[in-house]
Amino acid sequence: MGQADVPLRQTFQVLVHKVSGGSLGSIEGIPNSFVNIVWQVRIPRVIFAVFIGMALAVSGAVMQALVQNPLADPYILGISSGSSLGATFAILIGFGSGSIFAQFGLAFCAFLGAITASLAVLILSSVGGRMTSMKLVLSGSVISALCSSFSSIIVYFANNAEGMKTVTFWAMGSLAASSWSKIPILVIVVITITVFFLFQYRILNTMLLGDEAATTLGVPLSRYRRFYMILTSLLTGVVVAYSGMIGFIGLIIPHIVRGLFGSDHKRMVLMSALIGSLFLIWADVISRVIIKNVELPIGIITSIIGAPMFIYIIVKKGYNFGN
Amino acid sequence: MQLKVQDLHVSIGKNDIVKDVSLLVGNKQFVGIIGANGCGKSTMLKSIYKSLKPQKGSVYLDNLDVLGTAPKKVSQKMSVVGQFNELNFDLTVFQMVMLGRTPHKKLLEADNKEDLEIVHNALVRTNLTEYKDRSFLTLSGGEKQRVILARAIAQQPEFLILDEPTNHLDIRYQLEVLTCVKQLKIGVLAALHDLQMAAEYCDYIYAMKKGRIIAQGTPKEIFTEELVAALYDVNCKIYENPITNNLSFVYQL
Repeated sequence: MGQADVPLRQTFQVLVHKVSGGSLGSIEGIPNSFVNIVWQVRIPRVIFAVFIGMALAVSGAVMQALVQNPLADPYILGISSGSSLGATFAILIGFGSGSIFAQFGLAFCAFLGAITASLAVLILSSVGGRMTSMKLVLSGSVISALCSSFSSIIVYFANNAEGMKTVTFWAMGSLAASSWSKIPILVIVVITITVFFLFQYRILNTMLLGDEAATTLGVPLSRYRRFYMILTSLLTGVVVAYSGMIGFIGLIIPHIVRGLFGSDHKRMVLMSALIGSLFLIWADVISRVIIKNVELPIGIITSIIGAPMFIYIIVKKGYNFGN
Repeated sequence: MQLKVQDLHVSIGKNDIVKDVSLLVGNKQFVGIIGANGCGKSTMLKSIYKSLKPQKGSVYLDNLDVLGTAPKKVSQKMSVVGQFNELNFDLTVFQMVMLGRTPHKKLLEADNKEDLEIVHNALVRTNLTEYKDRSFLTLSGGEKQRVILARAIAQQPEFLILDEPTNHLDIRYQLEVLTCVKQLKIGVLAALHDLQMAAEYCDYIYAMKKGRIIAQGTPKEIFTEELVAALYDVNCKIYENPITNNLSFVYQL
């Protein structure tokens, strides 16, 4: 699959050899380029898919509970437009393109944009007392609109066709930037925050009931909301910085999981994490094989597979969007 | 367990909604609050159960300073059946009632046998055992209200606050809900809109108008035709119902 055709047998040999630290199997007779393709390109890419899929599905699930809105996704609180602004800035003004430094600069700017935007949303929604889910969503839209218009200004005045293409491609999301060097940060952030949310199921469940009922059950939501929001922003920020904006997973996977396993977060967070990972691995595979020698932006594939899956859940399981 | 509310004052924006209200619910007493829409009943209850912050006043549940204590601790003693609110996500009846155990659980503590038993008992008390696995959102208004009551019971409260618990319910459900609450034999503070029900179920009643308490007493003491006229701006005739020996009300414009 992909642009280079590495036989399955050789792929397996490389895997065994590398994973066992060279003690098992042998990679003699396999061209060096194949070893590199498997070990330096494809394996990191699969690991990326696992953790990015997990992160998006988990933060989607948490975000939907957080704002009590089944339409929420990880990007709803201004993260997408904030990181787009950061990325646009990096690509069109900041660091030029091509060098490794530019790649790092892009990721860093996107992360910075995401975090800044979600902090702005957080502050805006806390103005005038208690933070409610409605205020959060509204502040999210306002900040999004603001960031998008700034991005547009940059794009409008930038005379850089190549850069604009990069921006567009980035906005559609891709796992192409995966590499071993980025994996530690990604894995640590995703695992830590996911595990944390796995143990928060009681609070996530009471969140579904709304502020008042949660208070009477001893859970003051506004405090938890702020904290959860910072964590999901961090999670999504890292993901967006490394892979651009992969749409649909954060919105749809939580709904698919609810359709199959119910809304109780005791199971829901875990299943979202697992199904999110699986889904993104296969979406990435498909994005690379569906048209020979062309890698489609993965965001297109997640929608194309996700939508029918979702329709199936609605029709077969009688799932009604949580309503 | 007794609830003592003193000089409670709540304003929202520039409007004073609750003005220096003091009231007392004795041990295991069923106390009602009556008054027209917008008289401040709900706002007062909300500030008692910590959903709103009052500007002034104190609320004590025996020796527990309700306003100055963390919600978790308060919710171990006191549960609330609020006015109906819609859910955006579905849970089963069982999961919904299990949420009532939240205040008694540590962060990582799993639900144990005892919790299951408590939830089962709450479902039995509210006649919901057959609904256990139904999805909450498919239930009728009356059934939903009973689920919320079951959740409040699963909290194993020593005190219960009800905000118009029989709103939108059919007659049978109204009777079932109030009878069920009465059988809990704990202190109850309830805002009620049906005077006949209030007269029948309450041990003591406070009447509220424009944020103040304007009358209080046992049902037989408090219900006069003048008071009902003042509270609701209607003409009212009160008579002793020959079948139940309780008060009955006839209203006219």
